[in-house]
Amino acid sequence: MEGRLFPSSYQKLKHGGGFFLKKRRLDSVKAYVFLSPFLFFFSFMVLYPIIKGFDLSLKGQRGARMWYVGFDNYARVLTDPKFWESFKIPAYLLLVQVPLMIFCAILIALLLEKVEGRKGATFFRLVYYIPSTIPAIVAAIIWGYMFSDSMSPFLPILNLVGFSGKLLTREIVPLVMLIIILWQLTGYTAIMIYSSLLSIPKEYTEAATLDGAGYWQIAFRIKVPIIKDMLITLFIFNAIGALQVFNEPWMLGGLVVLPTNYTPAMYIYNSAFAHGRFTYAAAMGLILAAITFLISFYFLKSATKEMFTE
Amino acid sequence: MKRKVFLVLSLVVLISLFSFAQDEKYYPEYKGKPVTITMWAWTSNEDYSIAEFEKAYPNIKVQWENFGVHYTKAQTALSAGSGLPDVLMVEYSYAPQYMDLGAFQPINKWLDEDTFIELYGEAALKWCSMDGEIYGTPQDSGALGFFYRKDIFDKYDLKVPKTWEEFAEQAKKLHDLNPEINFITLPIDHWWVDGPIWQAGGKLFDYKDGNWYIDFTNPTAERVFEFWGELIDEGIVKLEMWWTPDWYNALNTGQTASIMLGAWFSEWLKYNAPDSSGLWRVSVPPQWDINNPHNGMTGGSGFYVTSHSKNPEAAAIFVNWLNSHPESLKCLHNYSNLPIMVSTRYENIIEEISGPDEYFGGQNIVETLWESHKLVDTSFKHLPVMSNLANSITMLMQDYLDGKIEKFADILPLWEKEAISIMKEFGYNNVVVGELP
Repeated sequence: MEGRLFPSSYQKLKHGGGFFLKKRRLDSVKAYVFLSPFLFFFSFMVLYPIIKGFDLSLKGQRGARMWYVGFDNYARVLTDPKFWESFKIPAYLLLVQVPLMIFCAILIALLLEKVEGRKGATFFRLVYYIPSTIPAIVAAIIWGYMFSDSMSPFLPILNLVGFSGKLLTREIVPLVMLIIILWQLTGYTAIMIYSSLLSIPKEYTEAATLDGAGYWQIAFRIKVPIIKDMLITLFIFNAIGALQVFNEPWMLGGLVVLPTNYTPAMYIYNSAFAHGRFTYAAAMGLILAAITFLISFYFLKSATKEMFTE
Repeated sequence: MKRKVFLVLSLVVLISLFSFAQDEKYYPEYKGKPVTITMWAWTSNEDYSIAEFEKAYPNIKVQWENFGVHYTKAQTALSAGSGLPDVLMVEYSYAPQYMDLGAFQPINKWLDEDTFIELYGEAALKWCSMDGEIYGTPQDSGALGFFYRKDIFDKYDLKVPKTWEEFAEQAKKLHDLNPEINFITLPIDHWWVDGPIWQAGGKLFDYKDGNWYIDFTNPTAERVFEFWGELIDEGIVKLEMWWTPDWYNALNTGQTASIMLGAWFSEWLKYNAPDSSGLWRVSVPPQWDINNPHNGMTGGSGFYVTSHSKNPEAAAIFVNWLNSHPESLKCLHNYSNLPIMVSTRYENIIEEISGPDEYFGGQNIVETLWESHKLVDTSFKHLPVMSNLANSITMLMQDYLDGKIEKFADILPLWEKEAISIMKEFGYNNVVVGELP
């Protein structure tokens, strides 16, 4: 382990000698001194909550009284139809929102790259970036107004088309969520892709142009494959976001009736804080984490496999 | 002349002596060490009452924190086994859940049952005690009032309904004259858990001697659901999400002519519908039987001493003083904007503190709402799974709106079924179905 961390001292160690041994120990001490702030926060803010959460998930609970029940909670979660129903929305986001957003972001990124260096380019980058700086919950409140029956700014247009009735219904919520999330994250994703595009050496595109490739050919045959790693990362992050979606449905739930198990995160939150079943919620949380991990792992694996076979 | 002055003076002395003696009887002396107790409450400006209390009890300091509706925080602290304040504000409908989970500790030692009944009335005992243990005191009343827009009533020549029969007539009349304006709208939320059925003198559930009772399909509840069902099925009364921007807007702009909510709503109206100042009035809700009037509540909160409190004596003395001492009641009315307090001692100060209210066109709403409050003459205990019960009625109403349930009144038996399964899911085996104590 230390050998891998400190290859130089490991090399020296091979040649033997007390001095080097001492030096190695000193290096380790130094390393741990530098590592200690990280280790401290990691263990208290990441490891401890995970262990505590796991411990909680093994208990039964009534108010403040808790007792060990083994894996009972897990067995109950796995057979709880309400838990599995809650994955409808994440599945929809995963299949519709994430690919759609990344595709739009690629187009915007190409556009930003094209206008790079021209007058106003910075302004457009800023405009696309702004939505992601607004807290999701605030954005959801504003979007709530946008879809309100009596105060929506779209009302004049809707009246013109002859639409009347409720704007925000239970059926339309997935679409509203799609709009909010796209509005919020597409620009941010585009900026990330754009910065990767900038790092592509100019020679590649120049060579392709000489060979007679058009703009779109260069874009989708050369540039996009080069930044594939970045796109996979974005895909995984957004997949995780889709599985854990909470703010948007939570906020919209105040405007239209949504079940408490509309998404897994909402079900976990409601179970813990509205219904006081913390141990059951902890088990659900860990199962959701496991599912998230498996899905990201699967993406990563299939993506890298594809890269190797190419 | 001199004799007259003497007479008046001695009367004053006598009265003050008497009230002092009364005070002594209600509010025991605090014998413990100087302490600071903490309280979570979402009512505004509780500090005026606290200041008065600290004058009367210099050895007890109260630190008040306002986190808004703090149930999630309280649930977390309760499960963690520490972190609850000494005094916790909880709505009456949620209190049984906390009592049942062991969140509170008994304060009978400092406030016995007889004194409690004297100060707060017998009905309130159900909201503040369980199995003979008193855990707290009631603050404001959620007695239902019928809030209506006088301008709309005048314009369409509508009568303020005294009975539900008249109510239905007036609702139909307005619907015929102008279907754009709602006579009333009803919420898709927990309002149905108590308000309208309690108002008919009925209940859906109760608790007695270690058992929870569930009977949603009793004649009173069925009658209420059928009454509203008819109006809703015919499209005369609309169901909608309350507390949304659209809903506030409708109240503010005169899209809705009336609303039935707890007394505390008078203040909500003032803040959230300022444009309609002077246009609102309030009356006692319509009755099922004019000769045998009842009322129910929606909302209203009590102050309870938690099981985490290390100073239950100080906390008990405080919650009792806070919610029944005339000085405190005056502050709660004047600064915390609570129209009606539950305490029986509130009646003595009503004349002093109430008067014409400009927002309500000069009506003395405190008098009307106090009258409404006095009609709350039946009581019961809410099931300890309130948020689930609320979710379940909400979902069923949405199913009705989506056409999955044909008739509104059919919701009631479905809701009962869900209530029974929720109690089971949460591990309550002491449930008696089909009867009420």
